[in-house]
Amino acid sequence: MILDLHTHSKKSEDSRATVVGYLQWLLKKKDLLPIDGLVLTEHRQFDADSDYRHLEDEYGIRIFKGSEVETDYGHVLVYGVNDAMLARFDFSNVRLNAQELITDVEELGGIAVPCHPGRPTVGLCEHYENKAPLEGVRAVELLNGGSRKGENERVEALVKKYGYGAVGGSDSHLVSFIGICATEFPREVSDEEDLVRALREGGYRAVDFRDRLKGP
Amino acid sequence: MSDTLPFGIDQSLIGSEFDSSTSEPVTAEDIHEYAASLGETYAGYFGANPIAPPTFCMKFRGNRFSHPSIPADAFRRGFDAGKDIHFGVPIRPGDVVHTSNTLHEVYEKTGRSGSMVFVVSRQRMTNQRGETVATIDNRFMLRPKADA
Amino acid sequence: MSDDIEIGHEIPPLEIVVSGDDVRRYATVAQMPGQRFVSDEVARKEGLPGRILPGNMSMALLSRMLTEWLPEARLERLGVTFRGIVQPGKPLRCSGFVVDRREIADGVELECDVILEQGGERRTTGVAVLQLR
Repeated sequence: MILDLHTHSKKSEDSRATVVGYLQWLLKKKDLLPIDGLVLTEHRQFDADSDYRHLEDEYGIRIFKGSEVETDYGHVLVYGVNDAMLARFDFSNVRLNAQELITDVEELGGIAVPCHPGRPTVGLCEHYENKAPLEGVRAVELLNGGSRKGENERVEALVKKYGYGAVGGSDSHLVSFIGICATEFPREVSDEEDLVRALREGGYRAVDFRDRLKGP
Repeated sequence: MSDTLPFGIDQSLIGSEFDSSTSEPVTAEDIHEYAASLGETYAGYFGANPIAPPTFCMKFRGNRFSHPSIPADAFRRGFDAGKDIHFGVPIRPGDVVHTSNTLHEVYEKTGRSGSMVFVVSRQRMTNQRGETVATIDNRFMLRPKADA
Repeated sequence: MSDDIEIGHEIPPLEIVVSGDDVRRYATVAQMPGQRFVSDEVARKEGLPGRILPGNMSMALLSRMLTEWLPEARLERLGVTFRGIVQPGKPLRCSGFVVDRREIADGVELECDVILEQGGERRTTGVAVLQLR
C-alpha cells in the first residue's frame, strides 16, 4: 500500500489545497501516481472535527489524519494522534521539546517522525551537528517533495548512520504536488492506529514519483 | 490565552483600521505603463479606454503599509510572504480607488530561516461608485525580537 | 474552448528573463520604493545575493501567464506564497495546472495551481480562479 504521509489542506494556513482537489487529482493521475491514501498532517494542530469517510467511499482513496508540529530539533510529523497526546502537548507551541515529544508520543500510542531533516533550521541534520541525537527515533522523512536540491540527499547519511527507517511524503500545499513522494508499505494499512503499527514494524520504503510527472 | 501577540501587539487591535487613503484618478497612461512593464500583450490593457491588469490594484498601498504597533525597522528587515487577492470590478481610466487597511492576523511559526512572525494586513478597495475593486490580504514575514 | 479544459490540463508556460531595467521599471510604476529591487549594493547589505524582483512582480507575471492563456477569462482570485527570492537576469518559468472545474451561472470556473520557478526551484506558488462566461 502506498501512502503520502505528509500533506496539508487549507486547514494549514499556508496551504491552498482542498481534500477533494487532492482526490480528484489522484484519480486523474492514477497511472502515474499509484497512491492508495494520504495523511493530512496539518501545521501546529490536529483537525479532530473533519470527517472524510464519505470522500473515502466516493473516491476509493484512504484519508488519515496526523499533525506536523514544531520543536527544538525542527519539525516533526505525529501519527496516531489521540486525546491523551493533545492533553499532553500544545500542538500550537512552536517550541515543543523534541525528546519529550518523541518519547511521550510513543508511550501514548503514537509515533513521531522528524520531517524534512535536511532542511536548514527546521530539519534534524543541522541540529545533530551541535546537539545530542534524539533517543527513540524510529524513522525520518528521507524523501520530502518540497525540499530543495541537496536537502533530501543530506538525509541519506543520517539514515545510514543511525539506522532510521525512511519514509516519504509530498509535503504538498498545492493540489498538483500530492503524491510526488510517498511511502510504500508491505501490507494494507487500515486506520491511524494501524499506521502507527506499520511504522513500528518496519519493512516500508520511501518512493519517489517526481520523475513521472511532466509538471512540478 | 495571552492577549498580547508577537511584537507586543494587543489582541484587541485585530480588525482595527490603521490607514485609509484615496488615490488620484487613474489614467489610461497609468494602465498602459503598468501593463507594458510586465510585457503584457493583451490588447484590452492598451488603447484609449483600457481596463487595468488585475494586479494593478497592488499599486494602491495607502499612506502606511504596516500597523503603527509594528516597529518600522522590523518591516524593513522583513519580507513579503505572499498575498491573497479577491478581485472585484476592473479598474478603468477615471476611477478613484479608496483603500482601507486593517490589521487582520498576527501569528508565529518556524521555517528555513528560523523563527518568524507573520503579520497579515487586509486592504479593502472600492471605487468612486462604491463598487469593490479588490480585497487583498498581505502577509509579511518579520523576525521576532531577540530575547533579552 | 473551455469545454476542452479538464482537471490536469497544463497551462501554457511563460518562460522569460526579466532584466534589472525591467524590475526598475515595474517597481517605479507599481510604486514600490524599496532599494533592494534596484540596487545590488543595498540588496547585499540586507543579506541578499543581489537585487531581487518584488513579490508583486512575480505575482503579476503569473497573472500575465493566465491572461495569455485565456484572455477572455475573468481572474476572480489569485493567492500566492513567496517561497524564495527571484533574481533578475536569470531565466524564470511560470507554469500551472487546472486542478478543479466547476459549473457556475452562465459559465465555468477553473481553479488552477500556479508556480513560478527559477533555477529549478519553486519560488512562488499559489492558486488562481478563473471564470469563463
